[in-house]
Amino acid sequence: MTILTEVQHAVVATGLTKVYGQGDAAVHALRGIDVGFATGAFTAIMGPSGSGKSTLMHCLAGLDSVTGGTVTIGNTEITGLSDKQLTLLRRDRIGFVFQAFNLLPTLTAEQNIRLPLDIAGRQADQVLLDRVIETLGLGDRLGHRPSQLSGGQQQRVAVARALISKPQVIFADEPTGNLDSRSGAEVLSFLRRSVRELGQTIVMVTHDPGAASYADRVIFLRDGLLVTEVTSPTPQTVLDTLLKLEA
Amino acid sequence: MLRTTLAGLLAHKLRLLLTSLAITLGVGFIGGTFVLTDTIEVGFQQKFTADAEKVDVAVRSKEDDEIPAELLAKIRAVPGVTDAQGLLGGPAPLLGRNGKAVGNVPTTGISIATGTLARTTVTSGVGPTRPTDAILDENTAKTRQFAIGDTITVLDPEGGKHDFTLVGLFDVGVDQWLAYTGAVGFTAETAQRMTAAKGYREINIAGPNPESLRDAVAALTGPGYRVQTGTELADELARASNIEAGYFRLFLLIFGLIAMFVAALVIYNTFNILVAQRTREMALLRCIGATRTQVFGSIVIESVVVAVLSSALGLVVGLGLGAGALAVLGQLGAPMPTDAPISLKPLTIVVSLLVGMVVTVGAALFPARAATRVPPVAALRSQLEEPTFRAGLVRMIFAGLFLLAGAAVTAIGVTMENGDTALVAVVAGGAVTFLGVLVVSPVLMRPLAAVAGWLPRRLFGVPGRLAVDNSQRNPKRAATTTVALTIGVTLMTLISVVTSTTRESVQAQLDKQFPVDFIVTDQRGPEGSGLPSALAAALRQSPELGTVIETQLTTAKLNGQERVVMNLPSGPETRPTVTEGSFDALTPGTIAVGKQLASAKKLKLGDTVPLATTEAGTVNVRLTALFDEEDVDQAQAILPEADFKRYFGSPGAAAVYVSAKHGVATDVARRAVEAVALPYPTAQVASAAEIRGEFDEALDMVLMIFGGLLGLAVLISILGIANTLSLSVHERTHESALVRALGLTRGQLRGMLSLEALVLGLIGALIGVVLGTVFGWAAMKSMPIETTFTVPAGQILLLIALSGLAGVLAATLPARRAARASIVDALAAA
Ligand SMILES: Nc1ncnc2c1ncn2[C@@H]1O[C@H](COP(=O)(O)OP(=O)(O)OP(=O)(O)O)[C@@H](O)[C@H]1O
Ligand SMILES: [Mg+2]
Repeated sequence: MTILTEVQHAVVATGLTKVYGQGDAAVHALRGIDVGFATGAFTAIMGPSGSGKSTLMHCLAGLDSVTGGTVTIGNTEITGLSDKQLTLLRRDRIGFVFQAFNLLPTLTAEQNIRLPLDIAGRQADQVLLDRVIETLGLGDRLGHRPSQLSGGQQQRVAVARALISKPQVIFADEPTGNLDSRSGAEVLSFLRRSVRELGQTIVMVTHDPGAASYADRVIFLRDGLLVTEVTSPTPQTVLDTLLKLEA
Repeated sequence: MLRTTLAGLLAHKLRLLLTSLAITLGVGFIGGTFVLTDTIEVGFQQKFTADAEKVDVAVRSKEDDEIPAELLAKIRAVPGVTDAQGLLGGPAPLLGRNGKAVGNVPTTGISIATGTLARTTVTSGVGPTRPTDAILDENTAKTRQFAIGDTITVLDPEGGKHDFTLVGLFDVGVDQWLAYTGAVGFTAETAQRMTAAKGYREINIAGPNPESLRDAVAALTGPGYRVQTGTELADELARASNIEAGYFRLFLLIFGLIAMFVAALVIYNTFNILVAQRTREMALLRCIGATRTQVFGSIVIESVVVAVLSSALGLVVGLGLGAGALAVLGQLGAPMPTDAPISLKPLTIVVSLLVGMVVTVGAALFPARAATRVPPVAALRSQLEEPTFRAGLVRMIFAGLFLLAGAAVTAIGVTMENGDTALVAVVAGGAVTFLGVLVVSPVLMRPLAAVAGWLPRRLFGVPGRLAVDNSQRNPKRAATTTVALTIGVTLMTLISVVTSTTRESVQAQLDKQFPVDFIVTDQRGPEGSGLPSALAAALRQSPELGTVIETQLTTAKLNGQERVVMNLPSGPETRPTVTEGSFDALTPGTIAVGKQLASAKKLKLGDTVPLATTEAGTVNVRLTALFDEEDVDQAQAILPEADFKRYFGSPGAAAVYVSAKHGVATDVARRAVEAVALPYPTAQVASAAEIRGEFDEALDMVLMIFGGLLGLAVLISILGIANTLSLSVHERTHESALVRALGLTRGQLRGMLSLEALVLGLIGALIGVVLGTVFGWAAMKSMPIETTFTVPAGQILLLIALSGLAGVLAATLPARRAARASIVDALAAA
């Protein structure tokens, strides 16, 4: 914990609560979460189904409103921003990789990659673009449309898209959930390389202990609460912690 | 299975709402047309019955000749006749308070029957009894500001002024001619004197036992007359007006059918999209054992439910529309009965429901068949494929055949001799070509979207680009959506091309006919005694005026047939174009005739034809020139000026052409002309500009009526665009959420959908404008008049702009819904 105080945080949540519905039907998805995500680190969020992982990620990314507490990205407190401000924040400072349907079917792979920059009216960093495309092995696929790409290729395009705008943080919700283990491993190692080589901050939700082991740190949720965390995880330590949680 | 269908229907009720609205509007228009025309027919029947039943027997000439007065005397002597009166009528110009004859045509003078045979509805005051009494129709009295007790002045056939006391006002009822000219009623003797009618239009007879009376009178009159009982007369008049109401109905129904055709496209599209969206659902049903027939049936049942509900609603809307139209017509004072109780015949109900059902279910059959082709394995596929579209060979062959056939038939229509058949050929060619366009349209969508989207793509950044991409995504869907709009735009363009071409051609013709600033005419037309030569002489004296040219018209038998004959106008600029021979050769004893008349009667230069004159008996005249009839107002033959005097004396001038002296302002010159014409009650002064203006107004009216009636089809097609978009928005929920997550603002997302709709609207308009212009040209080519083809660029651009706007308007609701959706929910929905 001593190290935490010294490192820079890309995203910080304090006392974060989220309640769906009202009265008897109210579901307390997050019950007060304090967590920081270090800049330049790859953090995984794990927990049993229904523990609030997706909710936490949506709240952190400004996709969903919070019930209580604050979320700060960089120096900006995002809780309380208007929809328009949140949209611009997402556009300029956040990248996303979803589990599926990440790409617009009408655009080619390259157009999909450039999409966030185009929306913002920004020029792509050509050096970065070339490097990302080369590293992801997408060079010969740039002119293809999503329907002509495999699931793994589609996810790699999504990752490239998230990286290209050099966001402060990338949120990924089960990015490898729909992939076979080999394609999954490719995507994950690429995510890790982008943290190592580009200093990218990544927050990833996953069910898979193997996927979590690519991260620098794994935090565990249960019933809307942060219960524990593991640094420098291996598949085995993650699995053990999960088993302990579910017991 | 039925339960599943109904559950599905309820789940999609919002999506089907717009479709239902399309059918409801179409059915409503058709139902409303029937309600309107049926009610008018009932009204006519009531009026005629109320009117004609006042007489027991009526006698009319079969040939529309006048009935000689002697016959009336003989009829009066027939046993059983208690009363018999003759009805007559003719021009009797009423002078307004300014001393000039009112209106563009002379007021009609009529005799007012008295006693049991009185048919006229005197609404205030009394009927005429003394020779100095007169009554006016209510409308004329109101517009010309006459009240009971006033003295009114009416001209006799020689132009002499006679004063009458206005003793009453009457209602002209459903007599359209009297409503148009205005009417003044006198006693029978006075009417005879004022109109110079030589006989009667009709003889009305009262007496017991109409049938035997009819037979007795018929035995007297012989076969040249139609003798009917009052009831028979009422029935016949009602039948005649029903034929008119029938044409009116047919005219409106054409627009109703166009609207229904557009609605059919909208329905077809909606069900297609619904089936596409529910592919997985259908596949699941197939997986768990539903047969193809059951899947087919479920879609058909869905369409039947929609059809029944919306057709029934359409019928209600139709009742409202019919009643509303009647109220409006009544307010506008249309010369038709609008006060009969609203008539809803069983036939109206049957036709409206049937049309709604057949169109809806018929349009849903193809999508239903497509649904049966969904393989059960589709339920297991994770991501549905993007619809791919390739221009299949069969499609191209069919499109090619249709387009070729359409072009060929149109070309035949354009090149064949002008007339009805030519126009029919052009219409048929247009219909076939349209089918071809319908078939080929999916192929056109991508390139056209690229054209229509060129500017949005460059102007609006990513939203613009995505919008244009989306509009090209599903060419079949885009094609049906836009073709629906194309129909309205095509017809609007066609009408506007036709009217502007007519306008241009008529203006050119008017310029030729009235190459002067003013024209003074006799309100009574060629039958009148004309304008005295003193008028022209006075005009020549006026210092403000330059050229003054008189033309004289008369009717005379040329080669055995009644023709309008004119003297050769002195000013060369007022003479028509000579097509053969020359006016220089128009020496005494010769004549010039119109080229159309000459070709119809196979006359050629040098021929000698007999001309019956009033002053010189029948003379033989030699044909020395042919001229273009379209350059002159009415004349079919032209005589040398001196000959005209010799043959027909000096009838008054039919028209005096006047030009302002150089440098005199038009309004000053006009005041001068009017001052000179003031003592001549029937002399009407019109400027060439006014005549053009009147014509312009008439054409604008045509444009407006067609625009209004086509508006329904356009409205339905806009519903179609809205529907397609909202269904697409629904399909793309996830994509919308994705781009929102990536930083597209709500406004940009809304804008993106609006742009997509704009592109669709523009495509529809582009196709429509091209088709409308081509067929407008072809239609004018098939007309038996010479025309100067003009494209109303302003109107067409406006039409294109409005179509784009319509698209954007259609997008508002779907776009709002898309922009409001929560990103998280939408992401979860996938
Ligand atoms: N829109 C919503 N309305 C009501 N309850 C919700 C909503 N979204 C999530 N929940 C509830 O909030 C809790 C947390 O859900 P969340 O989706 O965050 O879980 P998760 O950890 O991502 O689960 P999984 O691993 O299955 O994806 C669950 O109990 C869920 O039922
Ligand atoms: Mg989740």
